[in-house]
Amino acid sequence: MAFIKLNDLEIEVEDGTNIVEAARQNGIEVPHYCYHPGLTRPANCRMCLIETYGTPPGAPPGTIAPDRQLATGCTTTVRTAPPERKYEEKFDAIIRTDSPRVVKAREDILEFLLVHHPLDCPVCDQAGECDLQDFSHRHGRDKSRYVEVKNVPPKKDLGPDVLLYSTRCIVCTRCVRFCQEVSGTGELGLINRGSHDEIDIPRSHEGNPIQVLDNKLAGNVVDICPVGALISKDFLFKSRPWFMDKEDSICTGCSVGCNITVEYKEDGVYRVKPRFHEDINQHWMCDDGRLGYHYVNRDDRLQLPLKKVDDEQTTTQWADAINTIKEKLGEVEAEDIVVIGSAQGTNEDNYVLQQFAHDVLNTTQLGLFGQLPGEEHKYPQFTIESDKNPNTAGARTILGSANGNVVLEGEDLWQKVASAKVVYLVSGVPDRKLQDEEKAALENVEFLIVQDVLPSEITELADVVLPGTTFAEKDGTFTNSTGWVQRIRKTVDPPGEAQVDWQITQQLAKQLGSEINYSFAGEISIAISENVQGYEEATHQNIGDAGVKLA
Amino acid sequence: MVQQKRILYEHLDVPNINTFDVYRQHDGYKRFEKAIAEYQPDDVSKMVMDSGLKGRGGAGFSTGLKWSFVPKDIEPRYLCCNADESEPGTFSNRYVLEKNPHLLIEGILICCYAMGIETTYVYIRGEFTLGKKMLDAALEEAYEQGYLGENIKDSGINVNIYSHPGAGAYICGEETGLIESLEGKRGQPRNKPPFPAVEGVFMKPTVVQNVETLCNLPFIVDKGVEWYTEMGPIYGDARFDPPKPDPNTGTKLYCISGDVNEPGVYELELGLTCSELIEVAGGLRGEEVKAVIPGGSSAPILTHYELDTRLDFTSLTLAKSMLGSGGIIVMNETRNIVDCLLNIMKFYAHESCGQCTPCRWGTPWVRDIVQRIADGEGRQEKITRPKFGIAEGGRWGDTGETEEIYEDLDLLESVANNIANVDTMTWNTICVFGIAVSWPAVSYMRKFRPEFEATIREGKLTTLSVEEATVPPEENYAFQQRIIPKEMSELG
Ligand SMILES: Cc1cc2nc3c(=O)[nH]c(=O)nc-3n(C[C@H](O)[C@H](O)[C@H](O)COP(=O)(O)O)c2cc1C
Ligand code: SF4
Ligand code: SF4
Ligand code: SF4
Repeated sequence: MAFIKLNDLEIEVEDGTNIVEAARQNGIEVPHYCYHPGLTRPANCRMCLIETYGTPPGAPPGTIAPDRQLATGCTTTVRTAPPERKYEEKFDAIIRTDSPRVVKAREDILEFLLVHHPLDCPVCDQAGECDLQDFSHRHGRDKSRYVEVKNVPPKKDLGPDVLLYSTRCIVCTRCVRFCQEVSGTGELGLINRGSHDEIDIPRSHEGNPIQVLDNKLAGNVVDICPVGALISKDFLFKSRPWFMDKEDSICTGCSVGCNITVEYKEDGVYRVKPRFHEDINQHWMCDDGRLGYHYVNRDDRLQLPLKKVDDEQTTTQWADAINTIKEKLGEVEAEDIVVIGSAQGTNEDNYVLQQFAHDVLNTTQLGLFGQLPGEEHKYPQFTIESDKNPNTAGARTILGSANGNVVLEGEDLWQKVASAKVVYLVSGVPDRKLQDEEKAALENVEFLIVQDVLPSEITELADVVLPGTTFAEKDGTFTNSTGWVQRIRKTVDPPGEAQVDWQITQQLAKQLGSEINYSFAGEISIAISENVQGYEEATHQNIGDAGVKLA
Repeated sequence: MVQQKRILYEHLDVPNINTFDVYRQHDGYKRFEKAIAEYQPDDVSKMVMDSGLKGRGGAGFSTGLKWSFVPKDIEPRYLCCNADESEPGTFSNRYVLEKNPHLLIEGILICCYAMGIETTYVYIRGEFTLGKKMLDAALEEAYEQGYLGENIKDSGINVNIYSHPGAGAYICGEETGLIESLEGKRGQPRNKPPFPAVEGVFMKPTVVQNVETLCNLPFIVDKGVEWYTEMGPIYGDARFDPPKPDPNTGTKLYCISGDVNEPGVYELELGLTCSELIEVAGGLRGEEVKAVIPGGSSAPILTHYELDTRLDFTSLTLAKSMLGSGGIIVMNETRNIVDCLLNIMKFYAHESCGQCTPCRWGTPWVRDIVQRIADGEGRQEKITRPKFGIAEGGRWGDTGETEEIYEDLDLLESVANNIANVDTMTWNTICVFGIAVSWPAVSYMRKFRPEFEATIREGKLTTLSVEEATVPPEENYAFQQRIIPKEMSELG
């Protein structure tokens, strides 16, 4: 640990910490644009200038004075100095971020940053979450002295989801570095020179794109752009950031389990952004995950239970649907029943489901369903996994927890299904296509109960359809492929009469005379921690924002 | 009358000196042979250190000292010869390349021997097509003759030289911009430290040296330190007790252009005055000297009051200017300083690499202000601000009085100083291109303020007489703050 004097604070920071971070950790803002903790540090924006102190050359030992040049906070790191090199006999470094020189330098840099800027905040998506707005407000002068003509570089379409409003670009090169360092795809670069610098994709002489910004991590450049230059088409003009509520959650696109923030209003989810997790996704997420939330908002979401009458599915009341199921279950033996949990469902959903299977239905025939495997994508600093479910690991363990870890999957499962009389399939997998053998097996089932979020090939086959919920509408936990148990949180209300999956299961159980009676997901997590090996620490309370890694 | 001292340029005009045979007849490669026969590598480094040789490319940094920073235990190490000569007013490297390329190769060989370097890149300004052609031909000959390649002349020394053309950017003359460009990237200077001596080409220790600097080496090796240090003044740095020797030794290839009768490159001992130099170049063309740029377009301008300044590294620095690349541009009474500044600012606005905010957007801003003034559209509004001048105690500073100044001139000065401050010598940029912008901007405006004011007042480019255009010495910040260094011999 290095002991430093930062303004009037005496603080300890980890060796190697840069001053932007050291200050941030202690509640001091050092404004910056080009610096991003996940990227290399070119120190080109010159916004994070700080004043370092040292002993001037030739001065008597012990003299401490500001160094002649200001330094960039992003590249100035501190580490423990040997005793003879300490200042005032204890400090490893002395730094000011608030001296008059620093204050003036910031004002000057901000003035330069704004000379060509169009100041079109009223029509800019970034307004409200823009570093240029914020830092200008907090550190800038109120007036510009610029009276010359402004550059007006063109607006550009860079790729499927990314637009560039070049006029707003402050040439921090974060986006360029991202495409070099994290995605390694290199689509973005600077063209021209000096004040005519522009971000662009490779183009022919006629200006036609040779390569577009379409790598699966492309959306991150929009997040890291400190201004409103890179804009997501998906979010363009949809909402002012301050009108949206935010909740921390986990992406359901694959088993990486990227930490995300879901931004939503009453009428749906508006945007998903990555949230930092050091061991899982760092600062990033992929575009499949980022743009995968749309199904939550779809108009054709299942809102009421459906029941098959004379081969026609019609909507019905919950009470009727549950009664129908109860009757049917009364007609069959335990060995004729298969209960299938979902890798898209939470640990809590699956825990209640397996409890229902064992304690109420007395069946040990439990299976696991989920999205079909997709492609793995490897980038220099990020991997998207081929398992396109957020909770395969958790569902598998929890479904098998009271069952000697026997959970049917793949061929074994479909064989069992083909010979079953009643199947209770909890899906929640959006747009799941059925394979031939799966379809054949499900068609064979005498009475099929499907709990799902969207109409699909699967719900079409069902005798009863129960409207469940997506990740955006419930609390719970997922376990990713590396054993991190992490929390998702409810944002919007479920559509119509759709219900949280474990609550549906619990209702069924109650109808069948069971005592299962949880009142919130956190309570289930306590039960999980008590009964599932490895999950001892994984209560909602422990998991918090950082997650808990399974032992 | 001062005589030229032709050493580097001695054989420049010998017919066919660019060929190996003729070069050899004029002691070619014998200095290198002497170096490897008579001296250990460290002896050569020591000679270079003792010679006081300072880099000729612009920064004037001690060559020997630079070499001493190179870690000897990291392999490979590289030499980069900076032949990107693009500073306006500078054209001495070009003649070496075009006319006497073997001299550069010999200089490189000596540097490589001293530093244990096996690979050299010569980064040649892209526009120097003839220079590159001549160097390439000489390299081929040198390989054929066994002076390049593996085990040179059975000495066990290996040296390979690659010539690399630039792609037309001034900033690629800045040593780290050069390295980036050489590595195939955009020519954008790196943050320092680390300096190239520690992490340069491919992040390995690299010596970057100007063509002229390297061409000095054969003569230092051949004729010795004593001979070398007899040329040019050795000042005493009076901040130390006893004064520390500050050598400005050797000759300099001064490139003289502008209003002189015989423009060209003149090789002269360091330490001549500006007036003497004008005489060497055939005298002034015109009636009166209005101004002199002493070290390439980046250098702060000198007024006719400052012509007694000696044109060496130390004297010019202490006169708040610089020797820079040794590109001297003389302007007579017909020149308009606003127009000159516009010309220079157009160059810099075009050449900023665009990496750092102040330089990227400040440089064109300065250009636009000067353009507007030159177009007769300078704003008539004035503002009141503190007046700097000879303050209490006879020193330059805030006088406590105020002065009126055209808003646009204040703006010009302030924007330039916000890129790099010429008074405090601090800059908010990655490389010193920033100061190369604000030096001319601020010095021209301050030293020739009446001409700027007349141009704004009249609403058109207005050229005043030399006397009227120039601020008097007592109002000239540089003149008032300049220190005239004393030679060691004077200090006793
Ligand atoms: C903007 C800028 C342009 C430069 N251009 C050149 C150049 O064209 N040629 C050169 O030799 N040095 C140039 N330099 C100086 C180099 O950075 C470096 O100091 C020099 O090559 C070192 O060699 P020397 O010690 O032999 O002079 C330039 C520096 C700056 C800041
Ligand atoms: S587009 Fe955004 S991230 Fe990219 S350089 Fe411009 S301001 Fe920076
Ligand atoms: S990598 Fe996986 S978890 Fe992360 S954003 Fe993409 S789909 Fe979501
Ligand atoms: S000062 Fe100018 S030329 Fe130098 S790195 Fe910055 S932008 Fe480039």
